[in-house]
Amino acid sequence: MLKLSGMAVASAALAALAQQPAPADYTIEIAAYGLEVAPRKTIKTIAYNRQVPGPILRLKEGQPITIDVTNQTGNSEVVHWHGLFLPPAVDGAMEEGTPLIPGGGRARYTFTPRPAGFRWYHTHTFAGKDLHKGQYTGQHGFLLIEPRDHPAGYDQEIFLALHDWDGDFLANSDGSMDPVYTVSTINGRILGFGEPLRVKPGEQVRFEFLNSSPTEVHWIALSGHQFKVIALDGNQVPQPQTVPMLRLAPAERVSAMVEMNHPGVWVMGEVRKHIMAAGMGIVVEYAGSSGKPQWDQPNQLLWDYLKFAASDAPSSQQADAITIPLVFESKFAGHGAMDHWTINGKSYPDTNSPILTAGQRYRLSFINRSTNNHPVHLHRHSFELRRMPGTPETHGIVKDTVLVDAGTEVAVEFTANNPGSTLFHCHQQNHMDAGFMMLFQYA
Amino acid sequence: MRDVFPWPLWWICALLAFGVICGAPPAHAQGNYEIQVYGADTVEPKSTMVELHSNFTPEGQKYEIDGVYPTNHQEHETLEITQGLTSWSEVGFYVFTSEQNGHGVQWVGDHIRPRVRAPDSWHWPVGVSLSTEVGYQRAVYSRDTWTWEIRPIVDKYLGRWYLAVNPALERTWHGPDIAQGVGFSPAAKVSYDFTKQISGGVEYYADYGRLGAFDSLHMQQQQIFVVTDLNVSPKWEINFGVGVGPTAATDHLIVKGIIGRHFSWKKPSPVE
Repeated sequence: MLKLSGMAVASAALAALAQQPAPADYTIEIAAYGLEVAPRKTIKTIAYNRQVPGPILRLKEGQPITIDVTNQTGNSEVVHWHGLFLPPAVDGAMEEGTPLIPGGGRARYTFTPRPAGFRWYHTHTFAGKDLHKGQYTGQHGFLLIEPRDHPAGYDQEIFLALHDWDGDFLANSDGSMDPVYTVSTINGRILGFGEPLRVKPGEQVRFEFLNSSPTEVHWIALSGHQFKVIALDGNQVPQPQTVPMLRLAPAERVSAMVEMNHPGVWVMGEVRKHIMAAGMGIVVEYAGSSGKPQWDQPNQLLWDYLKFAASDAPSSQQADAITIPLVFESKFAGHGAMDHWTINGKSYPDTNSPILTAGQRYRLSFINRSTNNHPVHLHRHSFELRRMPGTPETHGIVKDTVLVDAGTEVAVEFTANNPGSTLFHCHQQNHMDAGFMMLFQYA
Repeated sequence: MRDVFPWPLWWICALLAFGVICGAPPAHAQGNYEIQVYGADTVEPKSTMVELHSNFTPEGQKYEIDGVYPTNHQEHETLEITQGLTSWSEVGFYVFTSEQNGHGVQWVGDHIRPRVRAPDSWHWPVGVSLSTEVGYQRAVYSRDTWTWEIRPIVDKYLGRWYLAVNPALERTWHGPDIAQGVGFSPAAKVSYDFTKQISGGVEYYADYGRLGAFDSLHMQQQQIFVVTDLNVSPKWEINFGVGVGPTAATDHLIVKGIIGRHFSWKKPSPVE
């Protein structure tokens, strides 16, 4: 667990740093960066250690870690460790109490990483209408917490981040403004720019996909191959299944194995044509193969969380789970403005703060009465999917982010086992900026 | 939107301006057949907008002048069909008709209107487009039978407010006003979103006369409309308004309505 944390903490840590503290295990520098996404196309953004995605952080479960973060930008920043069970002081959300790192300042984050699995880290600041701040920038990176005993079972592990860039707020068909992007990338590059992924026939490749897009859901296929999904949001699924494509809402991760059994030069990319045309793709090249990359265009979008759920009959709602209904709605603010978002009729910071009792099981009932889909994320905890739209009770899928489709209801359950302020929000940057956030507090 | 815009907009503007200034001379605004302040957006490719403009003049010109029918109690029905070409261009076609006691239903004329806009990828802070409209109208409905217009369009949404300006330039290609030079006919709109579905505001239309030698105010065309837009669906465009013209050269009272339907020809596919 936490040994020393934050910068509330960090301000204290500053003094400590001045006294020659022990070197950190990792250092992250937040700074302006020109990301060359394509030949003669550079995006001016902000990145971690002048690379997009940021450096891969490989941590050991249960082994304390120290990360120094320096902020070379002119704005305050904070780093959120997404999917980790951390104390609020270091979780990386100022709403919970993590101190911001002022422009030109630095902080030391010290924590004990858990649970094991594929996590990530990213900025957690307000962007508003500025599409060059917050999650619209390149401030995201992979974070892997390796279990104490780590059975590899694969020949290669490849991390891929999906991101959208160069956006503008444009009026959408339902009456408000939403970001629309002109560039979409995998690992910061458009299709055909940069090195291909090189594989060998017969290899088992483990792909770790992250959707770091500020607002967009993405669908990914690898022509000539299928994905065997083994984990969602870094947590093993009860029933690994083979699927032709993956869907990732913002902040979601999918871990999938691919058996490289179809030599050639292939395209892995966004299934929707206009997103692929904007660049979201990468070439997968077998050793000894050459030629033009092949893309077999799928003609439908396929995804179902429940395909990976436990097969045994689930118990109905746990008798002791307390239900907390959360109703998502929008308020029109003009055709030239973003909608205001509410949870149970109120926008953050005026949203209610339900009080949780440590050890108690809770059932969150997401009731989406809006015309938008929402990838909702619970900080510092994981939850179990219990009911998806139009289906009976389910169990076994553990996540930290779930996409709640427009006009539907989804139920999840979690155990309040990590005391402290806990942020819940839509992971679409423009929605959380417009009030779609709330805090849970512990008694 | 993902746009590719091969020609710089300034180049097209310069070409059109050269055409207006060096080509044939100018004209009065074509009559009240299409009363609309243009927004900068264009119709999407592979889709068509069909609009019916219905304008009635309860109180207008009561006398025939230079062989032109009086506008009083004229009912104008204009069919406008706009086809999206690319994400930054479209072309519109107009069929003008008029109905009036003593004259029956008459075909008035036709226009064609290509339009380009600044693509979204340019990230301009305001919407900008440029249309050019050329066409014919019969002499009994307009002294000038062949006219040409270029219309810059700038618009902006600001929260619940919407602002649009169309500082149009016109000239006559054939008719008595051929020697008059370039005429200035601005239009503007300010509206407010009362709800997601209902907006209300004011539209202004004018014809100041020759650029550089405006007519006296008395002889200028000046119209102000109180309008409402109903945003019931992305497929429909609905606009109603009542306008007054306080100057001698303007029809004094006009009622206008626009109803439009958007048709998409894209193959319905989740991956498109």
